[in-house]
Amino acid sequence: MADKPDIGRWVDEAAKAIDLPIAPQYRANVILNIERALVIAQPLLAAAEPDDQLTQGPIFRP
Amino acid sequence: MSDALSKRATAVEIARAVASGRVAASDVVEAALARMAATEPVVNAFTDIVAERARKRAAEIDKGRHRGPLAGVPFAVKNLIDIEGLPTRAGSKINLDGPKARRDGALVRKLEAAGAVLLGALNMGEYAYDFTGENAHYGPSRNPRDPTRMTGGSSGGSGAAVASGEVPLALGSDTNGSIRMPASLCGLFGLKPTYGRLSRAGSFPFVDSLDHLGPLARSTEDLALAFDAMQGWDPDDLVCTDRPVEPTLPSLQDGIAGLKIAVAGDYFARGGEPECFEAVATVAKALGASRTVVLPEAAIARAAAYVITAIEGGQLHLPRLRARPQDFDPDTRERLMAGALLPGSWYVKAQRFRRRYRAEVAKLFNEVDIVLAPAAPCTAPRLGQVLMKLAGVEMPVRANLGIFTQPISFIGLPVVAAPFARAGALPIGVQVIARPYNEQAALRVSAYLEKRGVCASLPA
Repeated sequence: MADKPDIGRWVDEAAKAIDLPIAPQYRANVILNIERALVIAQPLLAAAEPDDQLTQGPIFRP
Repeated sequence: MSDALSKRATAVEIARAVASGRVAASDVVEAALARMAATEPVVNAFTDIVAERARKRAAEIDKGRHRGPLAGVPFAVKNLIDIEGLPTRAGSKINLDGPKARRDGALVRKLEAAGAVLLGALNMGEYAYDFTGENAHYGPSRNPRDPTRMTGGSSGGSGAAVASGEVPLALGSDTNGSIRMPASLCGLFGLKPTYGRLSRAGSFPFVDSLDHLGPLARSTEDLALAFDAMQGWDPDDLVCTDRPVEPTLPSLQDGIAGLKIAVAGDYFARGGEPECFEAVATVAKALGASRTVVLPEAAIARAAAYVITAIEGGQLHLPRLRARPQDFDPDTRERLMAGALLPGSWYVKAQRFRRRYRAEVAKLFNEVDIVLAPAAPCTAPRLGQVLMKLAGVEMPVRANLGIFTQPISFIGLPVVAAPFARAGALPIGVQVIARPYNEQAALRVSAYLEKRGVCASLPA
């Protein structure tokens, strides 16, 4: 199993990379929301990678 | 049948009364404005009221102009849809400083071309990132069935305005469930059409891959009437279909003969409170549906919908998050910031999975025409409630109200949210889901349930 990510560092470094200032009073909640995203996204992240030929549609038609 | 001036009058009843000359459109509009004045302090559904515009329009209808199938029907729209001369708030404070809309949104123009009369713009969760109907800037929309409870969101004002009887018809948007949630929690009929079926031109986006617009009403017939008036290709919305208009009203009362109906099992049969499953079971029994089907990988679909929403939403709002973070609703701001920081590989995997899931579910719709599932996992939570218990597990309200709606809108399937008729209890809805572009079948089933009293929008 992979090491648990350091979410605080993730937030700080990614925010710098996209030039998004995050004020200290918002930081804890951003971290909480990343943690929540990791939990909710888990079924997708754990799923097998799609076949190479399965591309995303630029305009999705149901 | 209701008096066309009463709060229980449906759009169909009003249009018939106006068309026959029994009632003037001006009187219908004045009655609606009077109801709004009396009811708004309780439900907080409207953020903008365009009374003078409505009066002018009604007077023109009474002079014989603008006749159509919706003649004289008052309606209102979620405030992410453009109304000429007003800033398009999209539930935010920030957008109030933006330009005023120079033209009405496409669906407003279509409904008015059919004779309907716009009364104003409706409250909503900020930037539509919401299942609750709460809003830090404008206050929460309150559930007319119990004003201490949530309307559901993000089309909360749409739910409150129709359930309270202020207007018979409202438009909302649905990215992950934002029409179906207020329909379920307020006891209304709501239609989330097929993705791309109705134009979104002239509306403020949230998640382009998943955004839909659609109507909420107190009867299936009103949904069909409005849907038919709004269909049609629009080059101003790149995903809008060029399929021909397929009216649903003529066959609405055809019943369910020939339709193969099943109940969604597995993912959709667990994780909610007992009342949501009881509603589905009762509806299924009324329809003679004994078969259970499994939408494969629905849990992954929900996760993928969440990822696409977080990342597209975060990216859309990045300029505002940089410039004016202090002006966001606190319940929206940090979620959008977090979304902007999520990896691109998550997003692409979610979009690629979407195509696979679409193909798998399409196979299922070769075997059945309609699938039933809960709309909400529970009845309306209390205003301000942060956590809830579903099936004994405590979890955040905001992130989890849409667990049963997200896997459906993720692949753009058309759905009618139909209110299970439970006198003396808080409402709860059932999703009547059809294959893409078959709104007609979902509406027929909803009309059948309504005719038999199994589903009904009970008086608030």
